[in-house]
Amino acid sequence: MSRKLTFSGAINEALHQEMERDETVFILGEDVAKMGGDFGITRGIWLKWPHRAYDTPLSEQAIIGLSNGAAVCGLKPVAELMFADFVGVCYDQIINNSAKLAYMYDGEASAQIVVRAVTGGGIRCAYHHSQCIEPWLMNIPGLVIVAPSTPYEAKGLLVGSIRNRNPVIYLEHKLLYNKKGDVPEELYEIELFKANVVREGKDITMVAAMTMLDYAERAAVEMEKEGISVEIINPMTLFPLDKETIMDSVAKTGRLIVVQEGPKVMGYAAEIGSMVAEDIFEYLKAPLKRVTSLDTPVPFAPVQEDYVLPQYDDVIKACHEVMTF
Amino acid sequence: MALAKERLWKVYRDMVLIRRFEEEVEKYAQNGTIPGFIHLSIGQEAAQAGVVEALKYTDYKFPDHRGHGAIVLSSPPERRKNCMSEIFAKETGVNHGRGGSMHVNDLEARNMGFNGIQGSTVVTALGTAFDSYYRKANKMAGWEDENKDLDVTAVFMGDGTLGEGTCHESMNLAATWKLPLIYCLINNHYAISTHYTESHPQKELKTWGEGYEVPSYRVDGNDIEAVIEITEEAAERARKGKGPTLIEFMTYRWQGHFSGDPAAYRPDGELEKWQANCPLLLAKKKLMEVHGYSKEEIDAVHAEVEEKIQGYVKFSLESPSPKAEDAVKHVYMDRVVEGR
Ligand SMILES: Cc1ncc(C[n+]2csc(CCOP(=O)(O)OP(=O)(O)O)c2C)c(N)n1
Ligand SMILES: [Mg+2]
Repeated sequence: MSRKLTFSGAINEALHQEMERDETVFILGEDVAKMGGDFGITRGIWLKWPHRAYDTPLSEQAIIGLSNGAAVCGLKPVAELMFADFVGVCYDQIINNSAKLAYMYDGEASAQIVVRAVTGGGIRCAYHHSQCIEPWLMNIPGLVIVAPSTPYEAKGLLVGSIRNRNPVIYLEHKLLYNKKGDVPEELYEIELFKANVVREGKDITMVAAMTMLDYAERAAVEMEKEGISVEIINPMTLFPLDKETIMDSVAKTGRLIVVQEGPKVMGYAAEIGSMVAEDIFEYLKAPLKRVTSLDTPVPFAPVQEDYVLPQYDDVIKACHEVMTF
Repeated sequence: MALAKERLWKVYRDMVLIRRFEEEVEKYAQNGTIPGFIHLSIGQEAAQAGVVEALKYTDYKFPDHRGHGAIVLSSPPERRKNCMSEIFAKETGVNHGRGGSMHVNDLEARNMGFNGIQGSTVVTALGTAFDSYYRKANKMAGWEDENKDLDVTAVFMGDGTLGEGTCHESMNLAATWKLPLIYCLINNHYAISTHYTESHPQKELKTWGEGYEVPSYRVDGNDIEAVIEITEEAAERARKGKGPTLIEFMTYRWQGHFSGDPAAYRPDGELEKWQANCPLLLAKKKLMEVHGYSKEEIDAVHAEVEEKIQGYVKFSLESPSPKAEDAVKHVYMDRVVEGR
């Protein structure tokens, strides 16, 4: 049975149901227990299981360190970073421990943890509360970065992340929290490392994640009116990427646009572009396009934030450019 | 210590100014004019005004995210309206609307601004404290005199922020090197919803500094006379090269964590108890009962402040937004980032 749930409700439900099923799963973070999280995502868990929900001090390093150690012993911590920007505070734990424990322990143990991190811009909170942090973590082999875009994905991917034996950074875009969509009542899992072809098309492959998926879907509808057919791929796991699904699509359409919220340099758009240029260059009918933020910090003033972030019109412009090359 | 009555009078006016400043900020945040989120310091005026009062203009100040009061009072009177217009995201803001509430800085006044990452400024403060320490040790220009005082750095941090490892690293280094630092630990009892006794084992957070052999005090952070006295003492020690001090100012934030937070985690009656202990009320009472100021004189201060505040608000509302394309300025020094 499916019904409408918000993105935040879907995450909450995934936590409740997976905790019901597996007693090794617990949550920790700042204000996640009694208050149910700064964004209300973990509400109700502490009331149900007072010994499986922990309010920590403001100590991100301790939060991730504890998670790593507990995971080695077989527990499954789901930690919250109130803002993904705070990943800098626990960076060493994530890149040098979480990402490397499996390697260090010869695969006998790993950091099976989930770090839920609230990401992205658009809420006028300036340069320390608006960053897209995935590139900071994307050249660290051993890490997994998951980025749901819909309530359905939010629930299934969180369950998949908790069950996955690797450290997963699970990105929650703050602008998606109130987005509604169909979510099955029962517990289900979406497999990691698999991209989703959201819409089939034959002229342009458009890769987009999180809030950018909405731009892609709107653009596809608008382009259809002009007789241009857009295939949309939502990677769901940003790192490691599902190369095959993306390559197959670009080989078919011959045109690629990646819509990515963060700055242009070294984002996943850069990686996808390189993969295409390296492996299927001969299939390309036009240069690939990246629609991204400018390479600046995210400013506070609304007019400036809008100027820096990718806008819907940029996507349309990119479609016309690849079609008229 | 009792302040001279003129000084108490002056800081009372400062506190009224920052109280009214915050009330206006709250109003315009609630009605959507101010974007983003806002952390208000209503109820904590004595710790903000008192610390700034005890320091020199040339001392370094690191306000925290709940620091509008210290921010406004650090800037000279003619630039205070620009502190407000910064929070309004306007071109006339001290930082041209680029930073907003959490990042208001004014280098000329040595308000070094806040880093949205809690605990981050607590280590950055080592650097400003180090500057005059270094110049003096190397007898650099202007620092040849052995008896010259060091520049003090005061860093504000909350009871919750003390959980960050940076706070420990900072204090360990500052204490060992005897850097001129004051840790202004604003204990307003909560970090978002978490009471300080739920995130620290100490009953008094100041005992935390004692482990580093740093002189540590807990004072009534709503008593502006006590705040000024202890901060001046700490500043004096720092100036003379005797190292850092930790001061735990006991106070309370009247609003929720951010403007709009209903603060359901507070027990009934707690807020009212603290409101009865309002720093402005305490100072006013003393001014009237001990120093003989009349109600008319007090009213006149409020009227004078009101006129200023209304001026700041008008200025903020009427100021233009920054130019969108200026967002690419200052990403690098001496290098231009491409715009649209
Ligand atoms: C590294 C980091 N972790 C968490 C936060 C989110 N956050 C902002 S303020 C705050 C509570 C701070 O409490 P406290 O230090 O007591 O200051 P108060 O808000 O009470 O003034 C938290 C958790 C942050 N900004 N930075
Ligand atoms: Mg506090």
